[in-house]
Amino acid sequence: MNNLERFYLGRYLQAPKRNLLRFSFVFMILGIVLSVGILSAGLNLFQGYESSLREVLLGSFPHIAIQDADSDYISMEDAEKLISTLKSNDKVEMVTPTVTYSVMAANDTRVRGVSLNAYYFDAHNPFPYAKYVKEGSSQLADGEIIVGKYLAKELGKKCGDTLKIVYPQLDKISAMGLFPSERLYKIAGIYSSGFYESDRSQIICTINDAVSLLNITPSYAKLELRLKPGAIDDATHIAEQLQQQLGLSYLLYPWTTFSAGLLRLVTMEKWLIFIIFSFLVLISGINVISAVTTIIFDKRNEIAVLRTLGSSNASIKRLLALQVGLTGIAAIISGQLFGALLSFLVEKQSWYHLKGDVYFIDSLQATISPLNQMVVFLVSALLISGCIWYPLKQIDKMQIIELLRNS
Amino acid sequence: MLCLAGYEISKSYIDSDQSIHVLTDANLELNEGEMVAITGQSGCGKSTLLHILGLLDKPDKGRILIGGREVHAGMAEAAMIRNQELGFVFQFHYLVEDLTAKENVALPAIIAGVSIGKAQKQASELLERLGLSQRLNRYPNQLSGGEQQRVSLARALINKPKIVLADEPTGNLDPDHSEEVWQMIINLNKQFGQAFVIVTHDHESARLASSTYNLAKGYLSLCP
Ligand SMILES: Nc1ncnc2c1ncn2[C@@H]1O[C@H](COP(=O)(O)OP(=O)(O)O)[C@@H](O)[C@H]1O
Ligand SMILES: [Mg+2]
Repeated sequence: MNNLERFYLGRYLQAPKRNLLRFSFVFMILGIVLSVGILSAGLNLFQGYESSLREVLLGSFPHIAIQDADSDYISMEDAEKLISTLKSNDKVEMVTPTVTYSVMAANDTRVRGVSLNAYYFDAHNPFPYAKYVKEGSSQLADGEIIVGKYLAKELGKKCGDTLKIVYPQLDKISAMGLFPSERLYKIAGIYSSGFYESDRSQIICTINDAVSLLNITPSYAKLELRLKPGAIDDATHIAEQLQQQLGLSYLLYPWTTFSAGLLRLVTMEKWLIFIIFSFLVLISGINVISAVTTIIFDKRNEIAVLRTLGSSNASIKRLLALQVGLTGIAAIISGQLFGALLSFLVEKQSWYHLKGDVYFIDSLQATISPLNQMVVFLVSALLISGCIWYPLKQIDKMQIIELLRNS
Repeated sequence: MLCLAGYEISKSYIDSDQSIHVLTDANLELNEGEMVAITGQSGCGKSTLLHILGLLDKPDKGRILIGGREVHAGMAEAAMIRNQELGFVFQFHYLVEDLTAKENVALPAIIAGVSIGKAQKQASELLERLGLSQRLNRYPNQLSGGEQQRVSLARALINKPKIVLADEPTGNLDPDHSEEVWQMIINLNKQFGQAFVIVTHDHESARLASSTYNLAKGYLSLCP
């Protein structure tokens, strides 16, 4: 930056209105703020969606599920051995035995198919999804259940009510037809993970209750593994290692088998949205081009005078670029703040909710990631600088003589 | 000692198939501290000649020497020469509307690389010497026509050029203000030894110059 550029920059910063901030500038700034705001808000919301989905997928489902390859159940003795082997692995945080089965829940008028998941609730085997019990107790005693939020709503039940669980024993068909086993349970807690499908079809009970309801010899349907935070992304690899260790009599399902593709798709969609919204910034760049063109036209005499006094075209271009560029940067940053506000408003508004059955989760959440904001800033700055430099080329073609003659 | 010379300068414009010879083999010499006037009818090519001498325009043919060195408008140093060795005053003041008198005067110094503060200080001193100490922080539209021209004269002088090229500097002024500016030019020429080439169609004023050229039909001739 030479002295002339510094001088003009100083003048501009002292009195932007007198020096450059004209009518066309207002639209330029408005365009940038709006487009960058939308770009930034879009990214914040998509990032929020991606993080929420990932969080709930990893938080409310096992990182690796282990089943017996030949039988529906893992016997207690086998499980004992398995658990101690698995727990000795330093990537494994928690191993939880569980019984799962499809049963039915009924109120006076309705019957709904639900998924029954049974866990222990003791110090040795804590319930791994306690944080999703948003109402009531996350510690169950026998005879108590935790019911998914939407399921409870659908059946008109709340904490403290009783709910009838029906297990149709298909192997006990008598002359009188199906002979279901049914029990009444007290709803001790409401489960709300944010994962729509779980919240509308899940019931959690104790292992004891499940064993007696299902009328099975005490055993587990599967073991649920939770990995240490740093190892979660490595689940596929860890599952392969465990498979070798445990042999072929067990089936291992890392979370990636079910969800990695979905998350990748969401990530891809996020950047696709980013690219599409970047075009908005490019469109606002048209305002920048016209604002710069207007400035050059308005200041053509001044440019001719500066050239006459011995300034170079490059220097004149730089001093204009600096002033417009600084305004552009201020507008981009304002746009990012506007985007943050916009995503905050979308998050807080109550007239639109994500459809849980379409988007898996039902709450819209914005995540303002510094890295994303950096990308928004750099891409916007790049696009806007291009739109500043392009029209400045006109200065090279200006004929100072003609300008000096024609005023 | 010659500080500015132009030899065999020709310039023509093509205007609707017809070429107009605005300048034909014009020769002009300016000594250090000398004041030369160029007169001629409106549209005869005086400004064109001045622009060529000031490296703002390219002649079709001819040589220009500044300080004994051959120079031309297309050369890389042309901007530097305009900044350091030449001062310009035009018929219209061409002051930058958004800058104060002081800042306008400081511009050539700032372009030359003088620090902003120092350039403004020099500008203030110069304006004070030209009797404009009360006008330092006024914007051009807050100045009278005579004051505007005096400010642009100060701007032409701030880098202490050896040569000042003035194109009808009083052309837009009423007689009183015109007189004021002429007095100033004469004083500057006497006090600081700046050489002036002044285009004017005011023959009275031209008589104040040490020599007068007349331009007519493309030919430049020294008046006796
Ligand atoms: N770009 C151009 N194209 C054609 N003719 C031009 C151009 N510039 C100047 N002229 C002509 O050259 C002549 C000299 O102009 P100028 O030097 O401005 O005269 P003066 O300063 O003596 O009034 C005029 O007739 C003008 O019309
Ligand atoms: Mg003229």
